[in-house]
Amino acid sequence: MARNPTDDVSQVVLLLDVNPFFWGAEAASGGRSNGSGGLAFDQYFQHALMFVNGILLLNHTNRIVIIATGSSTCAFLYDSTATDGINGSSVTSKANKKTQVSRTELITKSMQEFVSKEEEASKESSQIQYSNISGSLSMALCYIQRVLRGPLPHPQARILCLQGSPDAPYQYISVMNSIFSAQRNGVVIDACVVGSQHSAFLQQATHITGGIYMKPPQPDGLFEYLMMVFTTDLFSRQFLQLPRPVGVDFRASCFCHKKTIDMGFVCSVCLSIFCKHHQTCSTCGATFSRSNSTTVTGMKRKAPGS
Amino acid sequence: MPRVRVVSRNFMEMVAALPAAKLDLLYDRHWTCQAVFRSLPPLAKQYVLRLLWVENAVPLKSWQEWARPEALSKHQIAIDRLEQLRVILPERKKEVCYRMNPKLQKQLRQALSTGGGPPRDVVSESVAARVPNSADLENYAMKQWESVLLQLVDCAADGPAGPKNPFIIKVFQRSGLLTPSSRENESPSLTDLGFQFLLMDTNSQLWQLVREYVTSSEDRGTDSGELVGFLLELGFHLVGEAYSVNSLSPALQKVLDELAALGLVKLQQGMKESWYIPTKLASNLSASLSESTDWQSSEGFVVVETNFKVYAYTSSKLQTEILRCFTRLEYQLPNLVVATLTKESVNKALGSGISAEQIISFLRKHAHPHVAQKIPVVPETVSDQLRLWETDRNRVQFEPAYFYDDFPTMAIYEAVVAHARDLGGLLFEDASAKRLIVRSDLHEDMRQYIRKQSSGAPAQRK
Repeated sequence: MARNPTDDVSQVVLLLDVNPFFWGAEAASGGRSNGSGGLAFDQYFQHALMFVNGILLLNHTNRIVIIATGSSTCAFLYDSTATDGINGSSVTSKANKKTQVSRTELITKSMQEFVSKEEEASKESSQIQYSNISGSLSMALCYIQRVLRGPLPHPQARILCLQGSPDAPYQYISVMNSIFSAQRNGVVIDACVVGSQHSAFLQQATHITGGIYMKPPQPDGLFEYLMMVFTTDLFSRQFLQLPRPVGVDFRASCFCHKKTIDMGFVCSVCLSIFCKHHQTCSTCGATFSRSNSTTVTGMKRKAPGS
Repeated sequence: MPRVRVVSRNFMEMVAALPAAKLDLLYDRHWTCQAVFRSLPPLAKQYVLRLLWVENAVPLKSWQEWARPEALSKHQIAIDRLEQLRVILPERKKEVCYRMNPKLQKQLRQALSTGGGPPRDVVSESVAARVPNSADLENYAMKQWESVLLQLVDCAADGPAGPKNPFIIKVFQRSGLLTPSSRENESPSLTDLGFQFLLMDTNSQLWQLVREYVTSSEDRGTDSGELVGFLLELGFHLVGEAYSVNSLSPALQKVLDELAALGLVKLQQGMKESWYIPTKLASNLSASLSESTDWQSSEGFVVVETNFKVYAYTSSKLQTEILRCFTRLEYQLPNLVVATLTKESVNKALGSGISAEQIISFLRKHAHPHVAQKIPVVPETVSDQLRLWETDRNRVQFEPAYFYDDFPTMAIYEAVVAHARDLGGLLFEDASAKRLIVRSDLHEDMRQYIRKQSSGAPAQRK
């Protein structure tokens, strides 16, 4: 975090995981197989909506954007500045009134639209079961970038990932790139994992950007976790005791097969990671000499069990 | 700017100073709960959110563990504030416990789950067609507000005074911005406070007036609790949306007239009903309540150059008058005023009670967008010079003091000097003539000490 916030005005981008595969499996098993303690999708959605209301209640100038993450697509669901900020000029006051009355309805409606679109899209590629987290992260960062380029003063930007489905190894590079650009822009990434497994991606994201990572032991009480931990703005974080990371899974994925590996080969020129020895680097095209490879394979043999 | 915070915090202090019964009555209303919640310090807000679903009293000790040890002072401020506003109520048990005000808890929970609150009765469709668009409304608000300030400025200038609203003049006089008029036809004049007031930003100015207005409301028979509730609620109304007047109590309807004079709302009348439309000023009012930095979106218009020239892209008479308070106007074009910060003009301003810091912050706050991105906005040469001119005036300090001399011996003199120095009140000493000057508030202490010394001295000598 480059800047020290001086006030509690925040721009929150909420990434909602609505991956039908994850929530479908959840519903089918009654929430037992995934270990998420019986958190159903409607409950999860309710809690997220209340979190949104909470953020907007905290400060007059707080803004929130919701991005839905599906398995193959992601889309903006809601932007608080779009409905609250426009007064009269383009929208007639009558229409304006309607949108104001039902923030919840508005979000629910766009969620329904998104889900039906997602259904269409996933018919074509049914083998993907991961969430498109890299896509929604990039969208969030683009949005924040636009805010930061806008007129001063800028709110403190942070991203909250409400993640259910497991990490997609093939997204390793794009997710890491998003994380690093978030770090560069001083955007904090928080993560709340409601699925059964820890997410190595998000652990690294929160570690690098100085955010909070949490995997609630009882996901059905998600709302309490959101209220206790994730509504905290960056300014108040300086003064509050917040959950500390227990350990970060720093393992990388190889660039050739996108497998998570404990030990591997690193290109000495571009730092690309591979799970086995190559003659040339597939990223930058550097050729490796023979002598180097023998020592590395020697090392690999020593690696315990992996 | 810190100034805004001070003024707006004062307003919340006023709310906090309301008697408990009245305050509780306020929390019956949905919007006041939200407004009070937003006005809390950031840490306190977090606490409230955390406590929102806790039914039992929380012991202070376990509460303290929420804060980091190094932030205990912030924690204490937050707790004090919450208790002052009766957001949390102490509960006597074995140890100090607090529980949240159940009314507030209920209202805030509802706000969280519904995302807002019940809309105030909005007027019928036919009215909506007659509501002005946002640009017109903003113009109206700005014009109204400028005319209010111009009435203040007119009192400063000797020229022909424009029409005056007796209500506004009275509010100005109450808040000490204008001297009270003793005779009927004598026009009041601007006080030091009034000059400073002109340099503040709109929100602080508004708050100061509103505050004055509320404190004097009891005299006029309006219930201050009701008024505060309404003012807080006003901030949650949609700008440019019509709200029916008829649903308000008669007292509040009268208040509306006066708020309209300030430009906070616009009143319109139809055939059967009348309605009011909150302006941007009203929504900014509650936005500035929260303790965040000032989010004023007004366009700046001033460019200050290192050669002390001030270019102000404005055609407003008010802005010109304000600039005239501390600059020498060089020339005026239809949309541009060129002025110079001279020693004479700044001295005049300093003489009328404005501080250099206020001038600088005014220039900074109203900086033209083209220079607003620069750091510093006001060239250092200019700001430094302004400060130097100010310290120039304060070269001599006056301090009431006592002068002591005629000490019998050097030993006594030295003991007395040491004593005065220990007390931190020694202003001057002259050892050769055995004289010293000490601050007047220490005189009693000094006299006793000297008496003790001079009586005890012979005994010591033995």
